[in-house]
Amino acid sequence: MSEKQIFTLKQVVSSIKKTIDERYKMAYWVKAEMHKLNRFPSGHCFPELVQKEDGKIVAQLSGIIWKTVMDRVNKSFMELLKEPLKEGTNLLLLVKVTFSEKYGLSLQILDVDPSFVLGELQREREETLKRLTKEGILNNNQNLPFPLLPKRIAIISADTSKGLSDFMNVLESNEYGYHFYTHLFPAALQGDIAPNSIQKQLRIIEQVKDYFDIVVIVRGGGGEVSMTCYNNFELCEAIVTFPLPILTGIGHSTNLTVAEMIAYQNGITPTELAEMLIRSFHDFAVPLDDARKIVIRTSENVLLNAGQNLSHAQKLFVALVTSKFSKNRMAVKEIEKDIFRSFKDWNALKAKEIKHESERLVREAQFLLHNYRQRLELPVDKLKPAIERSLRQQNERLGVSSRNVELLSPKMVLKRGYSITRVHGKVISMENPAKKGDKISTFTHDFELESEIKELKKTDDE
Amino acid sequence: MSKEISYDKAFDELQQIVSDMEEGEIGVDELSIKVKRASELIKICKEKLSSTEEDVSKILKGLK
Repeated sequence: MSEKQIFTLKQVVSSIKKTIDERYKMAYWVKAEMHKLNRFPSGHCFPELVQKEDGKIVAQLSGIIWKTVMDRVNKSFMELLKEPLKEGTNLLLLVKVTFSEKYGLSLQILDVDPSFVLGELQREREETLKRLTKEGILNNNQNLPFPLLPKRIAIISADTSKGLSDFMNVLESNEYGYHFYTHLFPAALQGDIAPNSIQKQLRIIEQVKDYFDIVVIVRGGGGEVSMTCYNNFELCEAIVTFPLPILTGIGHSTNLTVAEMIAYQNGITPTELAEMLIRSFHDFAVPLDDARKIVIRTSENVLLNAGQNLSHAQKLFVALVTSKFSKNRMAVKEIEKDIFRSFKDWNALKAKEIKHESERLVREAQFLLHNYRQRLELPVDKLKPAIERSLRQQNERLGVSSRNVELLSPKMVLKRGYSITRVHGKVISMENPAKKGDKISTFTHDFELESEIKELKKTDDE
Repeated sequence: MSKEISYDKAFDELQQIVSDMEEGEIGVDELSIKVKRASELIKICKEKLSSTEEDVSKILKGLK
């Protein structure tokens, strides 16, 4: 080896740069994942671009996006994808291989194709759907029985979300007095953190699932933002396998996200979702009211029918009884007539018999009377002299007695010389005593003497 | 969902009574019993529409 040829560093990098510049004159479309964006305060970005195979990085190179390019790219991304350029996505980049003496090899990014990203997102969406279908769980949440009354609602939303306040307003201001119980489980609703944040709240709700009827995910109000996080496989898997029906109201998207497709129901906006829930209360309240009306109407009918039947039966009964009664009355009248006729006949017969009997009795009596009279007449003839004889004897006995009586009469006693003396008109006795000077009257057979007592002496019994 | 089950049952029972009545399978004797039951069920269901549920905040605090 002769004398060493020595180059300065600048000579080397200049040589490399010259070679590279000559070799890579054109710009190329390169497919790569933007691993990190590395945005500097100046607005320029120095992203790390990688290519992965089976999760391992197999190629890596730095990129440069100047601020002006970055602004233009973001604008076109927002227009088409509703989100800015973000890390972790596969991109189709228009690049130029550059070599800077100072910074070395890098890819200067001149443009990023937003439609490629759209395609990538579409691919993720389809991938998620494909996997859910393959696992046979695509319709799991939709096949859950829906509660008759979705009354207790677990809400996954952000405290500040306009969508949440819209949802609550509709629920709380319903004019029917329906009462919902809601509990907020706060979560991030957009961007790369949303899937994990929502899944975390779902895990919490699962532990208290007995206290809820349904879960709703509501989001909205803000500007146009990307909804691609709702195509995330893990999030969608968590939704379909959740034990309660999950309803979504996450905003207007022309292209439904997988989460909205596989949820029990998609209410589109929070307001519409809340109105749907009120309708389901209504769907319950209306048949309830119908049931009430039917119960009233039917029972009225049953009573009316029963009443009519009863009144019909009553009329029939009365008619039957009346007809039976009049028939019987006629029969009774006939019998009565028969009886009367028979009685009259019997009466006549009996009268005849009685007359006959009485005539016979009279005859018999007369006969008997005649007999007795004849029998009596005979002794009367014999009695007459006996009676007359007895009468004579009696008269004779009476004549003797009357003479004896005559001998004892007062006149005869007076005639025999006795007298009766009276004082004060009565016979003188111990009961009617006389005293000296009294005038006394004395009756004899032929005179009445008036005298005055000169001397009074009690008669000596001896 | 223990409360909800008895509530669903209440509604089912009500529907059963209503369909029995509509099909004319209820006689005068049963009528007052069934009407009484139906009005109870309607009351239970109506109350459910406007009643307030137990707050789960405390339970959730225990979880976190």
